[in-house]
Amino acid sequence: MTLEIIVMVKQVPDKQEVVIDPVTMNLNRSLTRNVTNSADENALEAALRIKDKTGANVTVVSMGPPQAETTMIECLARGADRAILASDRFFGGADTYPTGLTIAATISKIGKFDIIFAGEESSDSSTGHVGPGVAEFLDIDQITYASNVEYEDGHVIADRELEGGTEIVKVPLPVLVTVLLNSNTPRMQTLRRKIDATRKGIEMWDHDKIGLQPEWVGVRGSPTIVRKMNPIREKERAAKKIEVRNIKELVDELYEKNILKLEEE
Amino acid sequence: MAGIKFATPAAKPDEYRNVFVFLETREDKLIKPALEMIGVGKKIADKVGEKLYCVLLGKDIKKEADEAASYGCDVILGAESPDLGTYRTLPYSRIISDFVKEEKPNIFLIPATRNGRDLASRIAVSCEAGVTADCTELDIEQDTRILSANRPTYGESMLAEILCKKHRPQMATARPGIFPVPEKVKSPKGEIRIKKANIDPSLLKKEVLEFRKKNTVDLTDSKVVVSGGMGLGKPEGFGILKELAGEIGGVVGSSRPAVDMGWITRDHQVGQTGQTVRPRLYIAAGISGKIQHIMGMKNSETILSINTDPGAEILKYSDYVINADLYEAIPALINSIREKKKSPAAAAKK
Repeated sequence: MTLEIIVMVKQVPDKQEVVIDPVTMNLNRSLTRNVTNSADENALEAALRIKDKTGANVTVVSMGPPQAETTMIECLARGADRAILASDRFFGGADTYPTGLTIAATISKIGKFDIIFAGEESSDSSTGHVGPGVAEFLDIDQITYASNVEYEDGHVIADRELEGGTEIVKVPLPVLVTVLLNSNTPRMQTLRRKIDATRKGIEMWDHDKIGLQPEWVGVRGSPTIVRKMNPIREKERAAKKIEVRNIKELVDELYEKNILKLEEE
Repeated sequence: MAGIKFATPAAKPDEYRNVFVFLETREDKLIKPALEMIGVGKKIADKVGEKLYCVLLGKDIKKEADEAASYGCDVILGAESPDLGTYRTLPYSRIISDFVKEEKPNIFLIPATRNGRDLASRIAVSCEAGVTADCTELDIEQDTRILSANRPTYGESMLAEILCKKHRPQMATARPGIFPVPEKVKSPKGEIRIKKANIDPSLLKKEVLEFRKKNTVDLTDSKVVVSGGMGLGKPEGFGILKELAGEIGGVVGSSRPAVDMGWITRDHQVGQTGQTVRPRLYIAAGISGKIQHIMGMKNSETILSINTDPGAEILKYSDYVINADLYEAIPALINSIREKKKSPAAAAKK
């Protein structure tokens, strides 16, 4: 029996180039370059390592606009076998609920799955909620914030990095695993695979193909709405320049202003 | 596709009352972010004259329940079972979702810790509720009882106000270290309702094999934090920061890249995925100031940065800037501080 692995990926705006439209206070997508969410590359690598050992089938799934195709091609060029992009104008403006619903329904439509991987969170929304949401929709167990993931005899054994330490858990299949950013080194794309992937193309599925009603998904299916966006006003700070030879004066000033206190030492 | 269902709006939002908070525990103790939830939950409940319910699960939770009551919870809703001693997604989310369906809270707040985030969206999907992640400001509109959930977005440059108008409960996870721990109340009179939980064995297949506890440093209590980043160039660089911190009663912090390099353990990390600190003095040595780090320290009272790059982002957030090699600047700082402590003024204080 071949293991069926799904990897959830997302195309996100490049952090270094985020441009906010001063009028709408929204992200200006036309001026921002798109990249694959970094933690998702770690998720794909975790999946490919299991593929290396067991010969598993790896399918990448994403929800996004048609230009997310470049991310899907990239995943194929790294070693994934199949790529499905859930793309439909009805999917736009989704919060985490319909996003999870759409991806879960896409995975259900694919059919068999043993392990679902996702990144710990996306760099643009940073909720970490979509992975567990998908697991709830599919009624399966989950392992979040995994740093090391091994497959062994029908089980996933993983290290979860928590605030107070590392928890090692063992869960029978099927299970959803979210993988920590930087927890492994993603392999490079190969030119050969890239050419093949570009030639073959990816699969685009709309709401109808997935079996979702338009009112269930996107902005209409979202329980939450953004009422407004406000720029965060940071405290103005002086950035007073201090030369190394004047450090004594700085230290005097810190004690004088009670920023440092003698009695604490 | 049994579980695939869209979010149905709550038929009667008026039937949903009171504020739920989830009290996460570690080693039979309420964790600090849980106490922070009691504080903000109580404020919201009081504003609309409703009750604060604390949800608490574990093996034996009498002690924690009393502690929760001492902070002013009105009702402690508990479930006890030997199978609940350690947090596991499925039994916790099932029991708590059942509490939500029975009690119909208007609002449900969960700390945005790793286990809190593991849990929140499962409950939201199970209860067809809306959830806003990682909030830093929470308030309620008095007349509509709608939760104003505010979260930083676009690399912390903007604050998004998010509402959930038609679905109940209105859920949010709240960032640890932002909301204050409340004062204890003089005469606690919370009602404690603990039931024995019978858990379906199908929910208990996850085995927790081991927990490797880290000797964690709580950076949030310290008045002075001395942090280092990639500019240290080598793991040994943290030695000199430790020396400086030792002189001024501080603790050592770090940026995430230095942690990822293995130069220092993760419990020292300040920032979005580390701890949020607001000390009297924050020293950033060799830290460029990526937004993820800024998020965890920008509310410090005074910020001193030491960096060779005159264009580093961190400068914008600094009160004082030493534009020099930190291996030159920090020994000079340590020397001046030692001199200062030897001075007559220092002697008089001791």
